[in-house]
Amino acid sequence: MATTTAPSQPAKVARSTKRPGGPIRWVRERIIPILGSLVLLYMFLPIFVVIVFSFNLPNGRFNYQWVQFSTQAWTNLCAPGGMCEALRLSLVLGVLATLGAVILGTLVAFGIARYRFRGRSASNLLVFMPMATPEVVMGSALLTWFVTLTFARGITTILIAHVMFCLSFVVVTVKARIAGLDPRLEQAAMDLYADERTTFWKVTFPLVLPGIVGASLLAFSLSFDDFIVTNFNSGSTVTFPMYVWGAAQRGTPPQINVVGSLMFLVSLGIVLVAQVVQRRRAKA
Amino acid sequence: MSRRQVLRTSAAGAVAMATAPLLSACGTKPVERSTLPPDRSQQDRSVSFSNWALYIDVDENDPSKHPTLDAFTAKTGIKVAYTEDINDPDELNAKLVPSFQSGQDTGHDILVPTEEIATKWLRAGYVEELDHALLPNVTANLIDSLAHPAWDKDRTYTVPWQSGCTGIAYDSAKVKPVRTITDLLTRPDLKGKVALIHDWRDTVALVMLDMGVDITSYTDDQFFAACDLVQKAVDSGQVRKFTGGDYTELLANGSVDACLAWSGDIVQLQYDTPTMTYAIPEAGQLIWADAMVIPQQAQHRANAHALMNYYYDPKVAAQVTATVQYICPVKGAREEMARIDKTLVDNPLIFPDADFLKTTRTSRLVDEATQARYTAAWVKVTGG
Amino acid sequence: MSGGAVAATAAEQRDIRQHPSGGGATESKGVGTSKWTPYLLLAPGFLWLLVFFLIPTIFLLAFSLYSGSLDSGYSFEFPGQWSNYKAVVDYWPQFARSFVFAGLSTVFCLALAYPLAYFIAFRSGKWKATLLVLVIAPFFTSFLIRTLAWKTILADDSPVVRFMNWSHINDLLTLLHLTESGRVLNTPLAVVLGLTYNFLPFMVLPLYASLDRMDPRLVEAAQDLYSSPWTALRKITWPLSLPGVVAGTLLTFIPAAGDYINAELLGTTKVSMIGNVIQDQFFVVTDYPTASALSFVLMLAILVLVFFYVRRSGTEDLV
Repeated sequence: MATTTAPSQPAKVARSTKRPGGPIRWVRERIIPILGSLVLLYMFLPIFVVIVFSFNLPNGRFNYQWVQFSTQAWTNLCAPGGMCEALRLSLVLGVLATLGAVILGTLVAFGIARYRFRGRSASNLLVFMPMATPEVVMGSALLTWFVTLTFARGITTILIAHVMFCLSFVVVTVKARIAGLDPRLEQAAMDLYADERTTFWKVTFPLVLPGIVGASLLAFSLSFDDFIVTNFNSGSTVTFPMYVWGAAQRGTPPQINVVGSLMFLVSLGIVLVAQVVQRRRAKA
Repeated sequence: MSRRQVLRTSAAGAVAMATAPLLSACGTKPVERSTLPPDRSQQDRSVSFSNWALYIDVDENDPSKHPTLDAFTAKTGIKVAYTEDINDPDELNAKLVPSFQSGQDTGHDILVPTEEIATKWLRAGYVEELDHALLPNVTANLIDSLAHPAWDKDRTYTVPWQSGCTGIAYDSAKVKPVRTITDLLTRPDLKGKVALIHDWRDTVALVMLDMGVDITSYTDDQFFAACDLVQKAVDSGQVRKFTGGDYTELLANGSVDACLAWSGDIVQLQYDTPTMTYAIPEAGQLIWADAMVIPQQAQHRANAHALMNYYYDPKVAAQVTATVQYICPVKGAREEMARIDKTLVDNPLIFPDADFLKTTRTSRLVDEATQARYTAAWVKVTGG
Repeated sequence: MSGGAVAATAAEQRDIRQHPSGGGATESKGVGTSKWTPYLLLAPGFLWLLVFFLIPTIFLLAFSLYSGSLDSGYSFEFPGQWSNYKAVVDYWPQFARSFVFAGLSTVFCLALAYPLAYFIAFRSGKWKATLLVLVIAPFFTSFLIRTLAWKTILADDSPVVRFMNWSHINDLLTLLHLTESGRVLNTPLAVVLGLTYNFLPFMVLPLYASLDRMDPRLVEAAQDLYSSPWTALRKITWPLSLPGVVAGTLLTFIPAAGDYINAELLGTTKVSMIGNVIQDQFFVVTDYPTASALSFVLMLAILVLVFFYVRRSGTEDLV
């Protein structure tokens, strides 16, 4: 047998000599997507459980074991006493708090993003601070304040608290959007003899609107889902997260899972629709 | 924000903080109680009733319906807004006292606090006096043992809702019988599978009984010694959790095998799990009666009286007790019970006899300041 | 707080990148050119924050020096009841535990979020937008409901826990005092897992925003220079993603330190956090001054930690 050096030897030397073959290589090349998907799965695991157990018909008060499939929780949504009232209250509070936070926050965002003035960095700091404070501290601070003022704890105090902490997030979101605007668009409008007011309402505002819409959705979800600050300042009023908390001690009816599943599906739907609309608009 | 800015603003903040004590010269004080609000019973024809969970009858087929409430509405035309938002007596107190203090309406016409909290409230003037002219059933049918408690001699402010006992519960299919509190706190086979009640008035009282203390006259030292015993059990990992009424879930799903429990809950659990056992601790069990009160500033006092009176009709009382299975405070309910569920008629946990009552104890009343001290010390044990 | 909060940060960082000229105040004016316009615009919002955030914080400090009780009313007696602060010493285990748990869960979050963020930023191609949606979507479900779901997943007889027992992973964890014999629920591990899960999107989205800004050609260049993927990650990707890491860790650590929900639902008495203590002091013991003292110290501690952390990480501009 003639021994010949394989012609590809020189080329092989140049490559890394540590390449494993076969399945390990397959995994290594895809390690990022695999890990990423695993984490995503981990994030969805509780959602699965919530949705699955919404179709359960528990034996007693507690929904912890799969008994049998049933849609009765979905058809009798308001069966647990007080749940729908709490849900309604949370929805109303969410809308009102969003309104308040978006109005105040958009004004602030324009102020900070568009103008150079003294105290601008202090303003940034003030806006940032509620985001950097633990909810326990914010809730207890508000409680001591309301107690000092002998201000009754109830729907009003909850609303005040919600507008307060949603404000910062609205400002940050809208500010980012404003900062991302191409200034040439406004300059173009003004070149075409539009005065400042027309420029604002016909060019700037529509361009910032997606940011405002995003901020509204954000504020709504923050307000709807808030527990700690609300718990401190609600007195004897019950919002939906507080109802869930109480139910955790008394017995969680499957209707809670139904509401959870609905929240997930609705928000997923909204975001997907927004994506589709955006894509269509980009094409147009 | 850059470092410099943070430093600058925190300096400003520090100055603000330093002036805070000057601002705090205000402080707070309880508002003087205003006069009674007008009674809107006739106009609204509604009443708001807040209670513990599973403490009223439920329709077998539809757990959201309460037949006695519906019958009340049918009979009187008064709608009942029934909520089960009471979980823990201290939390109830903490949430409502600020409203009481500022003279506000709590939003409820009838509340069902525990005796201790009811005592606290009536001493502070947070609950309305009852008009016994509107409560003929109560006058006629309230059982003798509950008619004149030391803390509300003539039931001027309170009417018992249900009475019950606190003792030991365990699943006899899983563990050997648990006979004493010491067993509960130290037996190795129960390690990590024990739940205790979050309220010191239940747990510490039972521990003191087990220590041999006479709880009608215990001292601070004995109380704190009992707390230490519980703390030891917590540190050793014996106790899994401190619960309110949610020990039923833990028993049912096997997270705990033995716990301190309220009698009615266990009788209810026995339907699903016949091996669930309520055991009277050897040193004695506690007996209590939760009380209905009308909080100050309630807007529908006449309707509230009507509802209270309604539940002292033996037929109605029997219906409620048939579901919740606690001790019924109404005379004549036992006879009615024979028509609803014969098996309950001779159950001492529902209609206690003299022998059963001999095993029951009640703690001495403590004043506000002592309660506050005890709660503060106990909270360290329950870990929060 | 839901994961949508992080979309805000991500949006900000993404949009700033798109228009390099639009990173700060533009020179062009908005509506109105008067000198007072910015102050007028800011006034309503800032008034709100002043009255309902700053002043309450000052009153928190004031309240921590009051004496009295809920029933008899509180009052300030000069020079203030500093003994309320004794509680900070009493409860130092809970303080320490809160910071340890928050730290652990932040580290876990980072470990989990980095691959996911990297995946979405660099390897997802046309699925990028969908994946971002999938990251945000679960967090629009009430976090309490999701945490309750973890109670079911980690229940004593659930498949997950049974597997952990069978494979003896649980025995190892028990040795490390993370779980207790045979169970995962009502243990320190459950609380940390709950915290990690709840705050994961707060880490993913800033990381993603930071990684997205990075030019992938830098990594290619590194590999052209014979670096292994791991070295490229360590020397190129990681340092460039540092702003995102800092933002993410802050957004995770701060709320986690004050959380009490996970400890209450998934933990046990022995693993209570300072949030539980504060809650109990307000709503069981009704000792408002002590509770305020604890709350104030928590806030101070976090501010100090954040200050040193931001200083050390070298990122000066966060907002």
